[in-house]
Amino acid sequence: MGGGVVNQEAGPTALRSSPVPVRGRIGQLRDRASGRHSPLRRLDWTLQLCVIGLSVVGALLVWSATRQRLGEAGGDPQTFLKRHLLNLAIGLVLGAVATVVDYRVLRAYAPFVYLGSLVGLVAVLLFGSTINGAHSWIVLPAGFQLQPSEFAKVALVVGAAMLLGEQHEDRHTGIRHSAPGHGDVLLVLGLTVVPIALIMLQPDFGTVMVLVFTTLGMLAVSGAPRRWVLGLILCGVLFGGAILQFHLLQPYQEARLTSFVSENKASSGTGYNVAQAMIAIANGGIHGRGLLHGQQTQGQFVPEQQTDFVFSVAGEELGYLGAGGIIVLLGVVLWRALSIGFASQDSFGALIATGVVCWFTFQSFVNVGMCLGIMPVTGLPLPFLSYGGSSMFANMIAVGLLQNVRLRSRSDPYAL
Amino acid sequence: MNDRMRIRVLLLRVLVLSLLATLGARLWVLQVLDGDHYRQVAETNRVREVVTPATRGMILDDRGQPLVRNRTSLVISVNRSATDRQADHGKAVLARLAGVINTPADELTRRIRFCTAQVKPPCWNGSPYQPVPVAKDVSPQQALAVIEHPDRFPGVSADLQAVREYPHGSLAAHELGYLAPVTQDQLDKQGDEKGYHLNSLIGVAGLESTYDDELRGTDGVERLEVDRFGRVAGTASTTAPVSGDHLVLNLDLGVQQATEQALQDTINQLGGGNRTASAVVLDVRTGGVVAMASLPSYNPSVFVGGVSEQDYRALSDPANGIPLLSRAYQGSGAAGSTFKAISTAVAMQNLGAKGDQRYDCAPTLQIGDQVFHNFDGESAGPITLHQALVISCDVIFDQFAYDSWLADGGLRNGRGPYSPPKEYFVRMAQAMGFGKATGLDLPGEAKGSVVDRAGAKAIWAELKDSYCRRAKNGYPEESDPVKAERFRKYAAEACVDGYLYNAGAATQFAIGQGQYLSVSPLQLATAYAAIANGGTLWKPTLAKAAVAPDGRVVQTFPPRKAGTLPVSPEILAYIRGSLAGVTTEGGGTATGVFADWPSTIVPIAAKTGTAEVEGKGDTSWFASFAPANDPRFAVVVTIPDSGTGAEYAAPVAKRIYQAIYGVGQAAAMPGGQPPAALPKINRDGTIAATSLRVPPVGTIVAAPVSAPGRGPVVGAPAGSPLAVLPALSTTADVARTGPGLATGATGPAAWHPPPGSAGPPAAVGVLSSAPSRAPPAGTARP
Repeated sequence: MGGGVVNQEAGPTALRSSPVPVRGRIGQLRDRASGRHSPLRRLDWTLQLCVIGLSVVGALLVWSATRQRLGEAGGDPQTFLKRHLLNLAIGLVLGAVATVVDYRVLRAYAPFVYLGSLVGLVAVLLFGSTINGAHSWIVLPAGFQLQPSEFAKVALVVGAAMLLGEQHEDRHTGIRHSAPGHGDVLLVLGLTVVPIALIMLQPDFGTVMVLVFTTLGMLAVSGAPRRWVLGLILCGVLFGGAILQFHLLQPYQEARLTSFVSENKASSGTGYNVAQAMIAIANGGIHGRGLLHGQQTQGQFVPEQQTDFVFSVAGEELGYLGAGGIIVLLGVVLWRALSIGFASQDSFGALIATGVVCWFTFQSFVNVGMCLGIMPVTGLPLPFLSYGGSSMFANMIAVGLLQNVRLRSRSDPYAL
Repeated sequence: MNDRMRIRVLLLRVLVLSLLATLGARLWVLQVLDGDHYRQVAETNRVREVVTPATRGMILDDRGQPLVRNRTSLVISVNRSATDRQADHGKAVLARLAGVINTPADELTRRIRFCTAQVKPPCWNGSPYQPVPVAKDVSPQQALAVIEHPDRFPGVSADLQAVREYPHGSLAAHELGYLAPVTQDQLDKQGDEKGYHLNSLIGVAGLESTYDDELRGTDGVERLEVDRFGRVAGTASTTAPVSGDHLVLNLDLGVQQATEQALQDTINQLGGGNRTASAVVLDVRTGGVVAMASLPSYNPSVFVGGVSEQDYRALSDPANGIPLLSRAYQGSGAAGSTFKAISTAVAMQNLGAKGDQRYDCAPTLQIGDQVFHNFDGESAGPITLHQALVISCDVIFDQFAYDSWLADGGLRNGRGPYSPPKEYFVRMAQAMGFGKATGLDLPGEAKGSVVDRAGAKAIWAELKDSYCRRAKNGYPEESDPVKAERFRKYAAEACVDGYLYNAGAATQFAIGQGQYLSVSPLQLATAYAAIANGGTLWKPTLAKAAVAPDGRVVQTFPPRKAGTLPVSPEILAYIRGSLAGVTTEGGGTATGVFADWPSTIVPIAAKTGTAEVEGKGDTSWFASFAPANDPRFAVVVTIPDSGTGAEYAAPVAKRIYQAIYGVGQAAAMPGGQPPAALPKINRDGTIAATSLRVPPVGTIVAAPVSAPGRGPVVGAPAGSPLAVLPALSTTADVARTGPGLATGATGPAAWHPPPGSAGPPAAVGVLSSAPSRAPPAGTARP
């Protein structure tokens, strides 16, 4: 591939300029030609292939969920399939950019990334469109939509990793240690509260929860004082209770949350969605009904099936083997991400990985759990599988960041 | 990065994996463990059933002539799943349709709305995917107007549907029964087991009810896959409807027609009104019901497409004689002297009476301080039991009953050395099948009642309080002060010792009177059939076989035995001989009626009966069987509020026999035998009904058993019981009976009249359709 071409070009130059023993040169040459140390070769391909695999499966599921409706409406039944693949391609490019940029450079530009995301969140409040009760979208020409809150996740991960990952110097003692102090924690909280507040105004409760849990996870892993972590969890619980108690949520949001616990799931509204999704998944059995052959799916019984409930398509048409396979693939992605964090040489890289893992884990668990009836309906997409450009882009950028961390995690003669 | 952070990352990894494992486990539960439940839900979610009703089987008489069949009706239906999707929800289409079928659009809208707890008919209680029939029996022009303009009537269809048809109108209505839409309750409880669907019609009365499983067939079901919006996406499965089996009866159209006609003529002769009359014809060898009729009747077609409330009220109105009620098997009353045949069996089997012994048929019988009179106070002197039956002497049977009552301890009520009381008359009545259902294959059979000493006491215990209240307060609502005082006196006595089974009650029982015995005409017919056939009590049965539409015999309904009479064959033979004398011998109560009957060829054994009913005319009874020497048919006729048995019931029975044996007309039962073979139903479903309507040739033939359906045969093989009868007049609707010959049991009764407020006692006859009975005149108690 590309890496091979680069190495071959570099080969003759090295031969000409380095008067080292032939044998040693040849060995070095072989090493470089085989790309053992090339950046492309050292990408985490397991991670990358799993992510691409999930996205392609997602494209098929989105296709299955939408082609009937599109066909009936007289449109191109493959519209969503094509768009999902296009989103994947764009996402891969964005991911490549995120991989290539040295994250130490990235760290320097983190404040701008963060501020940029805030601008997006303010813009959506001013110019955005309301879809499904949330004022979360900026509608672009040619049928594209932008969801700035997705990018806020990336910004928050990068920003928080920057603050928590730097060497902390105790102001009084002057001792440097890697664990963040109280000031750092407060700074991170401040960093988190602003986008949360802006997203609350949309309101997009699901994304807020992603941000909360991501921050919390990063704080915990960074070694922040324990009382902060526990205190924040307590605050979250109290806050959640207060929200439900005093009806601070929009009625539709509250309905989503409470329908999860209420008895009558099958009636209508949100409970209906979940009931239909569960029926679809159960209908798949072990082997599934076959792609494009799920009666529930093709009968369009599950609303929002290409986005929030895309997992139900997998459940019905691919069965336990397919849907379980998706969970396994997600597990591999998260496992590799944590391995990258584990192998990272500095806290910044490890925290980036931690943030991404918390974000993906929370979204995956809540989304799949919702389809399986064990989590409330929160309107979160399933990473890589749910249809949605912004979500796909943000996810791919996050994966790119993981690769970036991996590339710089070992002593690397070819490091930029 | 330090090591502590690495540990925290590892912890995070554990957390992540456990969350994913949770999802995997939950997925397993949902897809594999609970999968069946959800798949079922998915099914109902997704599949809609459209039912094609099966064609219901016909009900045929013993020769294959249809009594109930199906006709096709042009039905216009509205498919709501189509009209609801129109922009105006079908409003314009319904308005146009209203013009075509001359029904207001409002009414159409009501007919196609869905029934709920709040929305009552007119409404549709079927599946939303099932077209809703809005007009039945429309003209071909109206149907064409719809069919030819699908653009103007989207969602409206016109097609042929099968509906029940009754070619003989009200004939045998009580036996055939009718259909009604399945109720939600039945659907919930038996829907799956019986294959009911929403809007299924099921038999709810008569044979339609009893043999519903055979007749109904299996509905065809088309299971449509629909999407979330109810749009049909495809067909999941289709099963074709399977037509129901035809039901072949023992009932014979010809005999039934003659029976109903004779009853109707008699009712007309009596002056109509709310009078009732009923008759039963049984095959004594099988218990097969050859004819059973009760008038007034009704045309079951009023139930087709749902009976209107007004019609239903008229059919249950006592002022019309409650046409819905069959007096033949759903009513009961005192049997009158027809019970003497049973009393004779008691006398000979249990009380040691001999056939050649003579007993004094005195004009009166003194029992204690009470005098029992023979009918019209006549005296016949010392006669045998044979003669006592022939002339219907009360006093001889009174005496047997009195002796038996004394042997049981009289008023001591079977206590002490008399315990347990033998109560031969009661026991014999029970052995004859009285007081319990005969086992007829129709729902709602009357049990009648047979009350023994213990039963009498139980009844008294129930009524005692109200007797005592009446004793105290009298009968202020009674306008005649003399009557009121007599009632009060009676109540006062009953209050004190009404539990006593007194001699009057016992003697009345033996002659089929009083309140302790009440029988339905069907019960009496089964008892006489048992006497006729040598002692086998059959369960009367209407159905003979179920035959598939292609002619295959699916099931036969063989005779069902209910019991054996505890009477020796000799005694039964003696009784049969005696009963034969009733229509032939001098002084026989029915000799006059049957004076012109060819008794030498088809001797008829019979007993007349005249049961008293307070406040009404007597109930006329005639119980019989023929031929007396080789019985085949038992005929019982009951005509309440008329007169003596010989006067009214006997002539009706005679006309029935004339129809059966073809006296002066074609024989309904050629050779005097029911058809031995089932009617042949061809493979294509047509029925090769044996034509019986051969013109009268002036002769009738009693053909051998093995010649059913052959029509008249002239000439007899040697040694056969074949005989040629002279043509006979059939105009003897009212037979002249010799003066004083018609006898019933009309002796003074020892009534236990119910106090007005206590409601009727156990044995109130429904035959008379009398709303209630007041204490009778001439009450005397020993």
